[in-house]
Amino acid sequence: MAHVSSEQAFVLLLPTDVYITAGVAAVAMTVVLLGFLPARWTLAMFRTITTRGIDRSNWQEWTSTASFLVLAVAIAAGLWGPHNPLTNPLTLLVFTVWFVVLLPLFAVFGDLWQWINPWTGPHRLLTPLLGNARPLKLPRWLGAWPGVVLYLAFACFYLADIAPDDPERLAVIVAAYWLLNFAAIVLFGEREWLTRGEFTAMLAANYATISPFRRDAGGIATGLPGHRIVSAPALTVSGAVFVTSILATGSFDGLNETFWWLANIGINPLDFPGRSAVFWQNIGGLVASCFLLAVIFALCVWIGLRLAGGGVAFGEAFGRFAHAIMPIAVAYHVAHYLTVFLVSGQYALVAINDPLDTDANLFGLEHFQVTTGFFNTRDTVRAIFLTEAGAIVLGHMLAVLVSHAIALKLFPNARRALFSQIPIALLMIVYTLFGLWLLAAPRGG
Amino acid sequence: MPRSRKSPILATRRTVLKSVAAGAGLAAMPGFVRYAQAQSSAPIKIGFQVHRTGIGAAYGRWYDRTTTAAVKLINDAGGINGRPVEIIAEDDGTDPKRGAEVVEKFASQHNCDVGYGTLFSHVVMGSAPRAGEIKLPYFVVSEGHHVASGALNRYTLQPGITDVKSQVKSMAPFVMGNLGKKVTMIFPDYAFGHDHRDFFSAAVEANGGQVIEKIAIPPTETSFTKYFPKIPRETEVIYHVMVGPAVLTFVKEMGEFYGPNKPQIFGFIDSLEAVDLNSPGLEFLDGTYFWEGMPRYTQADQNDYDKHYRAAVGVDDNGASVSDPKDVSTFAHMFGCWETLYVIKAGMEAAGYQGPQDRAKLIEAIEAMTDMPHSNEHPQGAKKFNGRTHQVFGPQYISKVEGGKLVVQHTTAIEDGFYPDETDYTTQSF
Repeated sequence: MAHVSSEQAFVLLLPTDVYITAGVAAVAMTVVLLGFLPARWTLAMFRTITTRGIDRSNWQEWTSTASFLVLAVAIAAGLWGPHNPLTNPLTLLVFTVWFVVLLPLFAVFGDLWQWINPWTGPHRLLTPLLGNARPLKLPRWLGAWPGVVLYLAFACFYLADIAPDDPERLAVIVAAYWLLNFAAIVLFGEREWLTRGEFTAMLAANYATISPFRRDAGGIATGLPGHRIVSAPALTVSGAVFVTSILATGSFDGLNETFWWLANIGINPLDFPGRSAVFWQNIGGLVASCFLLAVIFALCVWIGLRLAGGGVAFGEAFGRFAHAIMPIAVAYHVAHYLTVFLVSGQYALVAINDPLDTDANLFGLEHFQVTTGFFNTRDTVRAIFLTEAGAIVLGHMLAVLVSHAIALKLFPNARRALFSQIPIALLMIVYTLFGLWLLAAPRGG
Repeated sequence: MPRSRKSPILATRRTVLKSVAAGAGLAAMPGFVRYAQAQSSAPIKIGFQVHRTGIGAAYGRWYDRTTTAAVKLINDAGGINGRPVEIIAEDDGTDPKRGAEVVEKFASQHNCDVGYGTLFSHVVMGSAPRAGEIKLPYFVVSEGHHVASGALNRYTLQPGITDVKSQVKSMAPFVMGNLGKKVTMIFPDYAFGHDHRDFFSAAVEANGGQVIEKIAIPPTETSFTKYFPKIPRETEVIYHVMVGPAVLTFVKEMGEFYGPNKPQIFGFIDSLEAVDLNSPGLEFLDGTYFWEGMPRYTQADQNDYDKHYRAAVGVDDNGASVSDPKDVSTFAHMFGCWETLYVIKAGMEAAGYQGPQDRAKLIEAIEAMTDMPHSNEHPQGAKKFNGRTHQVFGPQYISKVEGGKLVVQHTTAIEDGFYPDETDYTTQSF
């Protein structure tokens, strides 16, 4: 039986080699230009301007509690609502609203998850009952590794489980995940656990690092995307691995569909046997990707330090430069899930119109039919491809700029900063090529 | 695997017919009808195993639309045996293991009366054994030869769409008689392509033709220029069944290779299902021929059944969604959902189906079916059902691309697709 993939078919007809060359050249040119740009200009780009803030009264516990209630209703809908994963409120909430839409929005508007995560509110409201004391202390040596492990578990579930979209299955997992983390917050404290253990809060915080906006003590701090990264303190090693893992999973969730990957694991891409047949291959590939990218990035940082003549501790450099991965990770996210957004977004409309599958018609969309017609014409497919490719190229250009600015702050002179960037810049150029190739490569599965 | 064909088929079927007639007679008695109606206000539950996610999602979306449309009409007309039909749809992720779990859910969790709607062959192969074990009638809409080959079981039927073996076989006389006798086949080098190679080669030889070259393309190939020089010069017809994302590239490169002086070309619409024929690069297909399961474009002599079907599903004259003309449907396959649902309805009515205890009676009633006339219930064309092999046979359409549309040139007779039975499921016990 044929696999309908007209979008892919059109992509294969586009002059993608030209687009790829142009995109890689743009990133390479950014690297070269930085070599000539006076250091103060580079740093000036990422200057932060703080404006007087709005009312500082804290509504977090109420917005978060509201969010918790939404999640609770969605979990109920997962257990007892429509079986269709495309229109079930829980599946849509987790994979479309939160994962595909909200995360990139945090990259634009800052860490709004602090306001709408489903733990903060219930925890604070229950504090009078539970008391303020934290019975346990999260050991320092654990760093952010609990968060890394939970994130990888999520990625494995998302990429390898046989039916992650199944509403009932998802409801059980989300409820268990909420309880587990609520217990951890009670035990270890909200601040500790949400920055080192609970991966959605950690994801949001990292996505928000490239936002132009940030709520500071003095008000709203504004600057070029990435301005917060340039002045951010170093991440711990585990925090840095969390960041490289975000990019690695985003990359693998694309690579695993290519003809190249499928051929390598002995799967006929025209006759994909289903996720259950590639469960361990996906787990293995995902874990290997995370490990490889962390090692390669660490190696680039280490060689860069040697080229720059040392003088900065490796851990400090690794933790500072890891921030520069985030623009690329966000770009991958946008590029990879744009098509998911275009289709699932329509299903979300259908679901909002009739959330509990009771033939309700809340917004008059009763006769709305989900379409994928935009995958069927060359012009729309080209527009989609160029949007994705544009995101990849811009993400890498920003990463190169930010990384350079971090180096200028880290090293005493511009020359040493420049040398420290050679391996990282090369990695980013190669990664641009890889990202654009992923978009253009034939896919099955 | 039961492949015996010498069992007393006639006797079996007569017995079945008698019992069905008895059931119908019983239901016709006034007291019984009252009892039946009193007992049966609950809906008939049809478990719809649908490819909502995974590689089958594009087909699944249209199978869903067709199913929804047919069920609405059935319910508007009074349902089945006076009871409304309820579709319990479960996503199988286009995965065989998940497919088996879904079949299990239909029976144990949702109390479905039957399972229905599976398209991709590997999901059918993964699910059907489970359906047989838990004795859930399982109606597939897959066009695979797996049902008629005897590989499955008494509870699995394919009464709404023809299988690939009969499709290929019925094409051959037209190709030999009108396009040429020296054929070169180009096909992807795996089971799907091999089925075409084997079935069509045999049919070509049976019709006095000759397959002079068989070009197997590795599935991971995305450029084909190096294969075209292998096509022998004396080729009169190229038979191609390429699938996957490189299909448009294949057509474009074949066009560049031949220019205006091409041989006759015959393909299967599976290659371009849900793809707009006016897509750039497909101009080369003008003047070439395709097999179609059901004509995608409204024909000049459109009949009322086709009109009724398109209107109900929401498909325009070009086979695209009425709400988005760029959203081309999987028109050559999805009629199978519609027709299967009407077969289930007819089967339940003939069997006087009341509930899961009558599942065997339902299967026997459908096994007893033979002729299905061209009608609103069977808009693709008249059918003949083979109760022994659980496979339906029907007409096939050969269309020519003219000005970016497929125009039907020939409709095969149902009998053109017949082949000797390879199994007799009626000999298996329930």
